[in-house]
Amino acid sequence: MLEIRDLRVHIDGHEIIHIDELDLPAGTRLGLVGESGSGKTMTATAIAGLLPNEAKASGTVRFDGQDLLELNDAEFSKIRGKRIGFVFQDPARALNPMMRIGRQVSESIRLHTNLTGRAVTDKVLELLDQVQLPDPAALVRRYPHQLSGGQQQRVLIAAAIATDPDLLIADEPTTALDVTVQEEILQLLISLSEERNMSVLFVSHDLGVIRFVCDRVAVIYGGHVVETGCVEHVISDPRHRYTTALLAANPGMPKTDDFASFMGQRLQTIPGHVPAVGKFPGGCRFRNRCEHASASCAEPPMPVTLGDGHRYSCWHPDEES
Amino acid sequence: MAIADVDDMYFHYPRASLGAGDEGWTLCNISLAVHAGTTLGIVGESGSGKSTLIRVMCGLLHHQRGTVRFDGRDVGDFRGEDSKELRRKNQIVFQNPRRSLDPRMTIRRSLSEPTRALRGRKPDDDELIVSLEKVGLGREVLPRFPHQLSGGQLQRVGIARSLSVDPTILYADEPVSALDVSVQAQVLNLLMDLRDELGLTLVMVSHDLGVVSRMCEEIIVMRNGRIVEEGRTDVVLTRPESSYTTALLAAARAASL
Amino acid sequence: MPDTPIPTITADTIDDDTAIPAPPASVWRHIARVPITLYLGGALVSSFVFVALLSFVWTPYPPNHLNMSNRLEPPGTPGFLLGTDRAGRDVITELMLGARNSLYVSVVSTVVAMIIGTSIGLAIAGSNRYFQGPLTRLVDTGLALPGILTALVLAAKLGPGNTTATLAIIAWQIPVAARVTIGPARQVLALDFVEAAYGYGRRRSYILVRHVLRNISPLLIVLGSVMFAAAILIEAALAFLGVGVQPPTSSWGRFLSETQSLLEAAPFLMFFPGLAIVLTVLGFNLLGDGLRTVLDPQQARTGSS
Repeated sequence: MLEIRDLRVHIDGHEIIHIDELDLPAGTRLGLVGESGSGKTMTATAIAGLLPNEAKASGTVRFDGQDLLELNDAEFSKIRGKRIGFVFQDPARALNPMMRIGRQVSESIRLHTNLTGRAVTDKVLELLDQVQLPDPAALVRRYPHQLSGGQQQRVLIAAAIATDPDLLIADEPTTALDVTVQEEILQLLISLSEERNMSVLFVSHDLGVIRFVCDRVAVIYGGHVVETGCVEHVISDPRHRYTTALLAANPGMPKTDDFASFMGQRLQTIPGHVPAVGKFPGGCRFRNRCEHASASCAEPPMPVTLGDGHRYSCWHPDEES
Repeated sequence: MAIADVDDMYFHYPRASLGAGDEGWTLCNISLAVHAGTTLGIVGESGSGKSTLIRVMCGLLHHQRGTVRFDGRDVGDFRGEDSKELRRKNQIVFQNPRRSLDPRMTIRRSLSEPTRALRGRKPDDDELIVSLEKVGLGREVLPRFPHQLSGGQLQRVGIARSLSVDPTILYADEPVSALDVSVQAQVLNLLMDLRDELGLTLVMVSHDLGVVSRMCEEIIVMRNGRIVEEGRTDVVLTRPESSYTTALLAAARAASL
Repeated sequence: MPDTPIPTITADTIDDDTAIPAPPASVWRHIARVPITLYLGGALVSSFVFVALLSFVWTPYPPNHLNMSNRLEPPGTPGFLLGTDRAGRDVITELMLGARNSLYVSVVSTVVAMIIGTSIGLAIAGSNRYFQGPLTRLVDTGLALPGILTALVLAAKLGPGNTTATLAIIAWQIPVAARVTIGPARQVLALDFVEAAYGYGRRRSYILVRHVLRNISPLLIVLGSVMFAAAILIEAALAFLGVGVQPPTSSWGRFLSETQSLLEAAPFLMFFPGLAIVLTVLGFNLLGDGLRTVLDPQQARTGSS
C-alpha cells in the first residue's frame, strides 16, 4: 500500500529526515517509534503531505502505486481526505469545542463523498456505532466537552474512517488517555484495521503500545530508520544499539513472579541527549551517545538484512538475544 | 513510625456543589499512613483524586472533614513560624517541569527561592552548585532561563529545588510522565539514588504501574476519590483483591514491555 | 554511591542552542540585537521630552507673544517657520509649550492610573474566589461610567484646568487598567510555578508581585502605550470642551480644537498639532513594543523565539 524509497526532508539546508526504504503492505500496521526529536512525526507529516512550507521533501512515497510527492496541493488534498485518515494525540484539541459531534464527523463525509442529507446522517450514526460508542443518536447532538477523553478519541477515529480510507495515520493517539481506556482504543484500531483491510501507520514513543498494536516496527533516530522488522523480532532480538538502549530504558511491567528483582532496579540510561536539528554527528547518527562506537562509525552504516524483513544499520550491532 | 497519617479525610474543592451522599467530594474516606524512609506509590486514573490527595497531605489544600497529621501534629496546628517548618519538610516535585518554573526567573533565582522563603536567607552560588551536583547538573545552568534547558534538565532543577531545604517527605506528582523514555529512566534512577543517599521518604503519584512497581514498596490504588486497595506493592500487584486493580493491571500489562 | 553514573550535563554536552551566546564581540553587535522599534520609539519619545524640557529655557518667541499683524501666516513665512495661529503666535513656540503640557498630563495620568488600576486588578485576581465575581463587576461599573461626565463634574467642582483634566483622565482610566489586568493575572495564578511557590512558603502578596506582575508585564507595557495614546486624545477632547487646560496655557489639544474653526482661513494650521500628537503616540507605542521585546527573556537571550 505504501512504499517509501529514499525519502529526504530538508529544512533550512539541514537534512532532517532520510529514509532509505520503508514498506507498509495493505491491511498491516506499522509502528514508527522514536523519542522527541527523532523525526517520527515529521516522517508521518511528510507522508501526509502536510509539511510546513519551509520544508522540502524529495524521493518517492508510493501510495497504491501513485507517487504522492509528485502531486500538487489540490490533488494531494483529494487523496488525503478520501484515502488517508488521521488521528492525533490530544482529542480535546482536535475537536472544535463549538461544534456538535455529529456535525464534526459529517464534515469529511460531505467533503469527500457524494452523499447528502439523510444519507450523511445515517452514515454518521453507523460510524459512531462502529467505533463502539453507546447511543449514537444522542451523541451526535452533544458537544465535545460533554464526552470523556476516550469517547472523544473514538469520535475522531470515526471521523478518520468516514471515507473508508486505505491508510490511517495515528500519531500518539492514546498518550493523553488513561491506561484502561488506552487498551480499548488500541483494540478498536486493531479490529478496524482487520475488518476494513486498512493499513495503519502508528507513531509513538512507547514500544509497549506499538508491540500491542503493530505487526511491524521501524525505530527512528535522527530522522533515520535504524532498525525495522517484525515487532516481536525487533523486541526480542534488537540489533541496533539505540533499539537496545530504548528497550533497556523502558520501565516495563514486572512479570507476576518477578517483583522482587524488579523493585529498586536501576534502568539503563542513554548518555547525553537527543541533539537539536542539524547537530547530529555525521555517519551513524547515534555514535556520539553509543558506548560501542568506534572510528568506523563515522561512515554511514550499511543496512544488514536478517530473515523476515528484519533490517538494521549498525557497525557494532547487539548480537545477544 | 508514621511521619504522616490521614484519618477518614474528606475534601472538596471550594465551589463544588455537594449532592446526596458523596457527590461533589473529590476525596472520600481517605485513611493512610506514610512511614519514614519508605516509598509510597499512589496510582489511579484521571479523576481518581491522587494529585489532590498529596496536596491535602502537605497542607496546600485544606480538608473539610477528618484528620491529616504530620509528625503527629494536626496539619492545621502549624501556625506562624511553624507553618514554614511544615512547608519545608513537605516538598512537591511537579509533573511538567516547564510549567513549574517561572519562565522569567533564572535557574539561580528559582533554585534559591525555597531557601529564601523558608530559611530567611539567600543561598550563595556554592550552596546552589552543591544542590545541582546532587542531581547531575553543572554550574553553567545557573544563569540560564528555563526555556534554554531541556525537559530532563528542568525536571532535575525542580528536584534540586525541592531538596534544597532538606524536606522530610518528598511528594512527586507524576515526576516523569512529561519526559521521553530515556530521560525518564535518568530521572527515575536519580530519584532512587537520592532516596537511598538521603534517606528520603518519597510519596509518588503515577498512572504508570511499571514505574510504581520499580520504585515503591507500598502502593495505594485510588478510584473516584476513594482508596480501592492498599498494601505492599508486590502483594497488591500479584494478588489484587479489587476488580478495579485487576483491570488496571491487565490494561497496563497489555500495552507494556 | 549510585552504581550507574548519572550523566553529568557539562558545557560540552549542552547544545549550542541552549548555551547562552558569548557576549557580543563588539559594541555594534550588542547594538544590533536591540530591536529597531526600541530605537525608533526611544528617539521619538526622547525628542518630544527634549522639546518639552527645552521650552522651559528657550522658545523661538516668548510664550504668548501676540502679534496681531502676523495672524495666520502660512508656513515658510520668514521668521515663522511653521506659520502663526489666529493670535499671531508662532506655531513652533506653541507646539513646544504644548508639548510640555500634553506630555505632563498624559504621562502623569497614565502612570498613576496604571499603578492604581493594576494594583486593584492584581488584588482582585488574587482574592478569594467568592469575591472575585462581584469585585470584577464593580470594576465593570467603573468602566461603564462615561468619562466625559466625570470630567465635567470635576470641572464643576474644581474649576477647569490641568489638574482637573489629569484627575479626570485618571478616574477614567483606572477601571481600564484594572479590568485588563484581572484576566491575565488569574491565568498566571493558575500556573504550576505559582503552586510551587505556595509550596515553598511564599505568601500571596509576594506571588502577585514577583511572579504574576512580572509574567504579565509585556501585556502591561502594551496597555501603557494604549492608555497613553488615549490620555493624549482625552486631554485634547477636554481642552476642546473647555474643561481642560485654559488659555493662556498652551496645549496641543487646545491648539487642535482651535484650528477646527479655522479650516477655511488656514487649512495648514491643524496639521501641526495633529502631527505632533500622532508622532508622540506612535513613539510611545514603538517604545512599548521595543521594551516588551527586550525585556522578554526568551527573545532577548536567544535572539529568536
